[in-house]
Amino acid sequence: MATVTEPAGATDSGTRGAGGDEGLLRRSWFQALLVVVVLVVGYQLTRLAGSPPWASGFPGAIGNGFMAWLDGVYAWIVANRNDSPLFLYFFNYISVGLGSAVVLINQFLNGLTWLGVTVIGVVASWRVAGWRVALLVLATFAVFALTGLWNESMTTLSLIITSVFIALLFGIPLGILAGRSEGFYRAIRPVLDFMQIMPAFAYLLPFVLLFGIGNASAAVVTAVYALPPVVRITALGIREVNKGAIEAAASLGSTPGQILTKVQLPLAKRTILLGVNQTIMLAVSMVVIASVIGAGGLGDAIYQALSKINVGQAFQAGLAIVMLAIAMDRVTGAVGHGAHTPRIEPRYRMPLLGGMLAVAVAAAAVGRLFGLGGWPRDLSIRLDIPVNAADKAIESAIGPAAAALGSWTQSWILGPLDNLLSGSPWWLVTLAAAAFGLIFAGKRVALVSALCFLAIGLLGVWDNAMDTLSQVLVATVVTIALGVVVGVLMSRSDVFALVLRPVLDFMQTLPPFVYLIPAVALLGLGPVPALAAAVIFALPPVIRLVNDGIRGVPAGTVEAATSQGSTKWQLLTKVELPMARGSLLLAVNQGIILVLSMVVMGALVGAGALGNDVVLGLAQNELGLGIASGLAIVSLGLFLDRVTQGRRAPRA
Amino acid sequence: MSAPAAEAVPTPGSTDVTFSVRNLWKIFGRNADNIIGTELERADRDRIKDETGCTVAVRDVSFDVRPGETFVVMGLSGSGKSTLIRCLTRLIEPTSGSVTLDGEDIGDATEQRLRELRRHKMAMVFQHFGLLPHRRIIDNVAYGLEVRGMPRAERYERAQEMIEMVGLAGYERSRPGELSGGMQQRVGLARALAVDPQVLLFDEPFSALDPLIRRDMQNEVIRLQQELNKTSVFITHDLQEALKLGDRIAIMRDGELVQVGTPEEVVGRPVNSYVADFTSDVARTTVLTARWLVRDAYPDERTDGPTTEPGTVLAEVLPMLAASTAPVRVVEGDTLLGYVGRDDVLRAIAEDQLEGAEQVDAMVEEAVEEISDDAVDHGGADATGNGG
Repeated sequence: MATVTEPAGATDSGTRGAGGDEGLLRRSWFQALLVVVVLVVGYQLTRLAGSPPWASGFPGAIGNGFMAWLDGVYAWIVANRNDSPLFLYFFNYISVGLGSAVVLINQFLNGLTWLGVTVIGVVASWRVAGWRVALLVLATFAVFALTGLWNESMTTLSLIITSVFIALLFGIPLGILAGRSEGFYRAIRPVLDFMQIMPAFAYLLPFVLLFGIGNASAAVVTAVYALPPVVRITALGIREVNKGAIEAAASLGSTPGQILTKVQLPLAKRTILLGVNQTIMLAVSMVVIASVIGAGGLGDAIYQALSKINVGQAFQAGLAIVMLAIAMDRVTGAVGHGAHTPRIEPRYRMPLLGGMLAVAVAAAAVGRLFGLGGWPRDLSIRLDIPVNAADKAIESAIGPAAAALGSWTQSWILGPLDNLLSGSPWWLVTLAAAAFGLIFAGKRVALVSALCFLAIGLLGVWDNAMDTLSQVLVATVVTIALGVVVGVLMSRSDVFALVLRPVLDFMQTLPPFVYLIPAVALLGLGPVPALAAAVIFALPPVIRLVNDGIRGVPAGTVEAATSQGSTKWQLLTKVELPMARGSLLLAVNQGIILVLSMVVMGALVGAGALGNDVVLGLAQNELGLGIASGLAIVSLGLFLDRVTQGRRAPRA
Repeated sequence: MSAPAAEAVPTPGSTDVTFSVRNLWKIFGRNADNIIGTELERADRDRIKDETGCTVAVRDVSFDVRPGETFVVMGLSGSGKSTLIRCLTRLIEPTSGSVTLDGEDIGDATEQRLRELRRHKMAMVFQHFGLLPHRRIIDNVAYGLEVRGMPRAERYERAQEMIEMVGLAGYERSRPGELSGGMQQRVGLARALAVDPQVLLFDEPFSALDPLIRRDMQNEVIRLQQELNKTSVFITHDLQEALKLGDRIAIMRDGELVQVGTPEEVVGRPVNSYVADFTSDVARTTVLTARWLVRDAYPDERTDGPTTEPGTVLAEVLPMLAASTAPVRVVEGDTLLGYVGRDDVLRAIAEDQLEGAEQVDAMVEEAVEEISDDAVDHGGADATGNGG
């Protein structure tokens, strides 16, 4: 645990040197180490004393009461869903409306037949993004068809269309408002910040409470999860519009509405489209996760396959979702930057559009004429059989080693850490959390940290939360260590950077759910594959930030240090890494939040802990447990985020 | 401070005024309203900043702009000139004071009325052009007409005229990003002219341009002024530009007007050392005219010298004086205004060299003591100085 905090701690010392260098006690890494020592001593004393009641885990009574109350609420909702006016006239309408929207879009896509959908998709993507992307889209549809997952893909597509539509319907106006009103921007910024650190898994259950299990819930939760970027980036785009252009337009007597529609929106268009792109990508990742609350489609296929440990089937569905994600990213990204959009003379644009429409209608008509629907399943290629065979081979080859690694990690690292956290008196752990907050981020964060841990205890999921926390800490240490090494290498070599950058781009496009598939294939079930998935998932942004930070050090400074005879190692440790401090801190912060979101998802491959409570809560109708666990995940996220943000100002 | 302000304000009852600015203040910061009217109002900027956190940008400024005149406001960066011009069209709300355009108080105008004024009566040209990069040149020029609701065909016709007038024919369909800085500012100029405003407001329009382009643009403005006879308020930090374009120049420092006058007055009779310092690099012979130095003949002086117009600058009077020992006769129409002799011009040049009339006076006195020569009339130039 000390090692987790060391990088952040060591770099923090620079800000507190005002009182003179009076020794170790003033350095935050040493203070952090002291806290750890106190925690370990406290744990040992507790064990020696035979775990007396005043020094145990958090008393469960309040939490159990809370969960029972939530269960009661849920029971009441289930009983009164069709009587209470709130549900009758509000939630049920939304639920039915969205459910039907998804079904309608799905039916429309089916009505177009596979031929119509493919032709429309390819032609449209050629028009906005050029022929390369059109080929990619064609390949994506081919994967949908040949994996035998055409219908699932269309369901996922319908869900994405519905939820992105809702997200944009609310997000763009909110963003415009935030772009034009400083007060509104200040009011919603903390909410957006909070939404972005909330792990996807924690979003799920409250929506089940309101909308029931199924596509409607999935559409709403996806829309809510995908909302922040479009609001934030639209606001940013509007605010960044050249003040001179606005002033000039005002000086010519434009009304506020004219300034919005003739100046701000056109000039912010590119930026807003970037936000739309990010929102779509978040929707793609969430729509898969939402299979846990009953969303159909590709996510459900992965979910089912994972729960049957059928790696082959999971791989097929994973491949389809990866292709979908990449195609979505390339198409919407191209709309934003417009670099590959074919240049077409204005006078040909309308005829071209007409021609494209005609081709689309013709394709759909041909499809219907021949009675095509979704791609016939018997024409698919069974990838799952060879993949499963390969998986068997891998398992027999590295299975024992993987198992050994798993049990070693479990018994030597995860186990002891978990024991330390859940075996120590709860108040000691809470105080330690507050102390970390104080050391790295000041009094306010200390208070927030203590409150977060208190909340976790009161929610009645202390033990599982400590389990999750220890998993997060271990995965974060590995992520940061690997990330710094790879990031430094990337900053050293332009060739390596050139090779690595597209790989990182690719990795950041993938929905997080997909990372679980290779982890299970290689490492089996349990916490270790979940941690491996979390590390791989969190690595790309960490590597990128380290690289950017080091490359951002001014050339003049490096030159000066070199001219004074620094070795490369001295240059790195004495100049570049300290100067990249801001980026490194940000890397720790982002890494830890991403790790948390993945670790809780790891419940799907047997990582247990809080994530498992969420899944269990749904599966066994114990919504109280599920929601309490979701809230505990949020508390952990808040604690980890605030402590690692350090004394930085909150993100802009 | 009150002296130059008084100089700028014409006799009461005169209605021949386009812009009339009275006691205009702009203070940025909270509680800015609580400063004016208190004793703090007279304090210097730093003290006000320290005590209230407010920044005084424009301080009790009054002046009038006459129809058809080019009124230049000149000052260093931070002197408040850009804030001042924005207060004229309320892009920045003044803290107090009044601005009237043709007798109408702009401060009292409703949002609606203000838009009307901006759409029809005054148009502004900006330092960084403020063009809309997503629109073609013709749509940029037509913007002001578009927001007024003029039909497309009509506004394109008008915009086309303006584009031709500023010499950009052929670029109608380009985007601003494809044009050089000088050309972009021509677009800004065309956009302002397109709405056929009564008043043009220029906010350092040429500061961002290369010197050669800047000179072209200045000539362009002079040409357009002569053709269109618009009233202009022109902000600049460049004294040469101010002297070249301005009918009258207001020199601004720390939010206040230090001196308002014709180019000759500012250069020839600076009110204080700040203005003198400012104008010290100017070659007087290129600014001062015969009218500025004209005097009555001395008792036994020759009166048969060459003749010239009162508007001739000294640089052009010099060759005449070199050709003849007699003083030049200054004639306006049929009236003889007086004479300008070698000593007058030499004196003006000497002031230029020595940066300050006092210094010259002292040296001249010394010289007079040593050589008993013709009487040197110190007051001559000052007494007959004629401020346009």
